[in-house]
Amino acid sequence: MTVACKRVNDNLIEALRGIVGDRLSTAVAVRDQHGRDETYHTPHPPDVVVFPDTTDEISRIVTLCAQREVAVIPFGTGTSLEGHIAALQGGVCIDLNRMNGVIRVNAEDMDVVVQAGVTRKQLNEHLRDTGLFFPVDPGADASLGGMAATRASGTNTVRYGTMRENVLALTVVLADGRVIQTSRRARKSAAGYDLTRLFVGSEGTLGVITEVTLRLYGIPEAISAAICTFPDLESAVDTAIRTIQTGVPVARIELLDEVQMEAINKYSNLAYPVQPTLLFEFHGNNAGVVEQAETVEAIAAEFGAAAFQWETKTEDRNRLWQARHDAYYACLALRPGCKGFSTDVCVPISRLAECINETRLDINETGLVAPIVGHVGDGNFHVIVLMDFDDAAEVARAKAFNERLVARALAMDGTCTGEHGVGHGKIEFLTAEHGDAISVMRALKMALDPFNIMNPGKIVSL
Amino acid sequence: MTETLKPDTADQVLDAIKWAAGEGMPLAVRGQGSKEGFGRVVDVPHCLDLTGLSGIKAYEPSELFMTAMAATPMAEIEAALRQNNQHMAFEPPDLGRLYGGGNAKESGATIGGAIACNLAGPRRIQAGAARDHFLGFNAVSGRGEVFKSGGTVVKNVTGFDLSKLLAGSFGTLAVMTELTFKVMPAAEKTRTVLVLGADDSNAMKAMAAALGSSNEVSAAAHLPIAAAAFSNVSYVSGAGKSVTAVRVEGPGPSVEHRCRALAELLKGYGAIEELHSENSGTLWREIRDVRLLADGDNLIWRLSVPPANGGDVVARLGAEIGGRVFYDWGGGLVWLSMGARPHAGHEIIRAAVAAHGGHATLFRAAADVRAQVPVFEPQSDALRDLSVRVKQAFDPKSVLNPGRMVEGV
Ligand SMILES: Cc1cc2nc3c(=O)[nH]c(=O)nc-3n(C[C@H](O)[C@H](O)[C@H](O)COP(=O)(O)OP(=O)(O)OC[C@H]3O[C@@H](n4cnc5c(N)ncnc54)[C@H](O)[C@@H]3O)c2cc1C
Repeated sequence: MTVACKRVNDNLIEALRGIVGDRLSTAVAVRDQHGRDETYHTPHPPDVVVFPDTTDEISRIVTLCAQREVAVIPFGTGTSLEGHIAALQGGVCIDLNRMNGVIRVNAEDMDVVVQAGVTRKQLNEHLRDTGLFFPVDPGADASLGGMAATRASGTNTVRYGTMRENVLALTVVLADGRVIQTSRRARKSAAGYDLTRLFVGSEGTLGVITEVTLRLYGIPEAISAAICTFPDLESAVDTAIRTIQTGVPVARIELLDEVQMEAINKYSNLAYPVQPTLLFEFHGNNAGVVEQAETVEAIAAEFGAAAFQWETKTEDRNRLWQARHDAYYACLALRPGCKGFSTDVCVPISRLAECINETRLDINETGLVAPIVGHVGDGNFHVIVLMDFDDAAEVARAKAFNERLVARALAMDGTCTGEHGVGHGKIEFLTAEHGDAISVMRALKMALDPFNIMNPGKIVSL
Repeated sequence: MTETLKPDTADQVLDAIKWAAGEGMPLAVRGQGSKEGFGRVVDVPHCLDLTGLSGIKAYEPSELFMTAMAATPMAEIEAALRQNNQHMAFEPPDLGRLYGGGNAKESGATIGGAIACNLAGPRRIQAGAARDHFLGFNAVSGRGEVFKSGGTVVKNVTGFDLSKLLAGSFGTLAVMTELTFKVMPAAEKTRTVLVLGADDSNAMKAMAAALGSSNEVSAAAHLPIAAAAFSNVSYVSGAGKSVTAVRVEGPGPSVEHRCRALAELLKGYGAIEELHSENSGTLWREIRDVRLLADGDNLIWRLSVPPANGGDVVARLGAEIGGRVFYDWGGGLVWLSMGARPHAGHEIIRAAVAAHGGHATLFRAAADVRAQVPVFEPQSDALRDLSVRVKQAFDPKSVLNPGRMVEGV
């Protein structure tokens, strides 16, 4: 069964102009830019792009689209990776980038209300003098509405959680144009079903998020960083596992495999050993970060780590972490002219070493160039497959490799996606992973969006 | 008379719900019934008793998760975790005393009930709510369909977050048969810094200062003198003053260091005392289980407000309500015990709380009071409509715990 949407016509465009004036575009370049992501997914441009300024405008836009059964695709910064923003059935793309105001910082309560188009870097810039920060840091400078919609996470999930734990409330325009606030400012919402978290991760399929209330954290008094090299992958992973089991409140643990280290050495002209490497960051007070680093140093030594190098000064820390921040560009430099495609499986950490090792063998057998980086604290790792998106055979090989990787992860009780989401690129995997839950999700989707106008064809297809 | 269905397997749960949905026969869903006093009374002729679904199914301490059948007693789970120096970090409360009268020894709470009610203790401000530790489940929806969601990994973004929806749904959407949740290493050492004699308003400031510092405070509560007097910790009950308590946990040296830093930070608010592990354990259990108010059969309200606002809400309610209060979550949670009054005083209370962007839950009251007064904060029309749609998606015939949360839903 497919529930098809109607297309945008001139009459609708006129009506939209009545709401947003000239903040609307049907230009091919603008539409193309809003229908394409950075991946190999086929672009699907929307029929028209609107740039609203307020929740009220969005409510009126969605009401119009609902009356005409035209698709609505919310758009943050378009950095999602699974064809999330593809306008599969045309329709109206709502670009939220003009809604970039920080509405209210409640320093005492450690929360903030932002418009959905504010990006994570804009928010932290705004917070600079408050002693507070927002921790969730996906690799791209994404919008907070988009991050909420994709339930994004970053490198410090182990300590601060993902968007799931850090969104306190949302203002949402529902599929019929009504506006709701999911929760009051109080932290604890015991006033009914947890609608906030139903919208977090809904990928624009249940409504348009227009405002987000986020939890903030005090900037730690002290931060220290460490890097250390391991003889093999198991010992690196075991060190990460033991660190977490011991209850060290580590802020970040990132794994870079030997191929990634070689790429970094080449890219930044460094001389790190070409071996599996862990990077750590610790947050706390002055004594605390020293203690954490020493505890981890002892654990790493037990697992045969070579020199454990740690730094507390900002410049020195930044130098250590630069390797991780540059990881993606270093990968691209391995095969100039190619683009990167990132896998996203997540497995229980006890299976992580096994899963990565098997995957590395698979990569070598398939003949791909593909470094691995991992958020080892959560069992999530990315294989960055470098390839020529125009070479159909290579794309097919990479896709087949990813299918095997997902099957491997599922067999280990893992998931096909730890942070990038489903979009339309992973719908099939979702069915393999969740089977029966799909019908529950479909029922939910139909209950909240009976005409299937909200970002149709994503997460579940009707 | 109530007829009880007592399945022993997930398949039998499925059969029972298929039957109920087919016949349009509503079911009261029950674990051990330890929290039957929480929420509205489900007055229907059939009860689905889940106590046959009990037992830990998978627990590998190094994996940091556990899978257990829905009606596994919390006591059993906690005992297994203790053997491995682990715990559930959200500090699930044991409400046996509160609901079972002063003498109840053990609550008989089950893991399914703990998650379905989404209750967390003092560590919530650091470790999150019950739902944040809930990784996945197997369940049967009100449609009579088996489904599962989530799993054992801590991070996934595979579509709608059904786990979060079921946590706190009081068995009104689906009957969970098996749950997987995170377990964490228990802290090696616990210390509590006490500040004596701060008034409510200064106590809010002291707690905010402690929570905003880099000392990784895992709980912050304020007990006005009347509540402190009920503690079994002599330092607290014997202080003769209000007691503001701030907890730190972790490895020994770090805990001591942080305690010193906190004592220094808070000394301007009153005399400082310190509790060691055992007394800390007792005090925080009393706070977690609301024992400081559990005596007698007073009405008990739970007020959720933005963290720094608890003191203002209580000041606003002040003389009008009387009663006894204490604060948890750095002032974001107010427990209020008061004598009987018409409609449990809900209008006055809800008006005061709403003025601060919070909400109020009638946590303990006689069944007839809970039938008249909304137990949970009434929702706006749009939210209520959305909740009804969610309910219909899972349970279109409304056979699972009808009216447990909201009258008519
Ligand atoms: C280099 C790179 C690194 C990345 N690293 C990470 C990472 O570490 N972790 C991670 O989680 N992700 C990562 N991503 C993926 C991406 O950045 C995240 O998914 C991000 O959250 C998307 O935000 P966005 O604003 O770009 O959303 P968009 O891409 O614009 O939209 C994403 C989805 O959300 C919906 N949406 C957007 N805004 C709204 C709204 N206001 N209301 C309702 N729905 C909305 C859209 O319809 C779409 O379905 C990375 C991407 C790149 C390119």
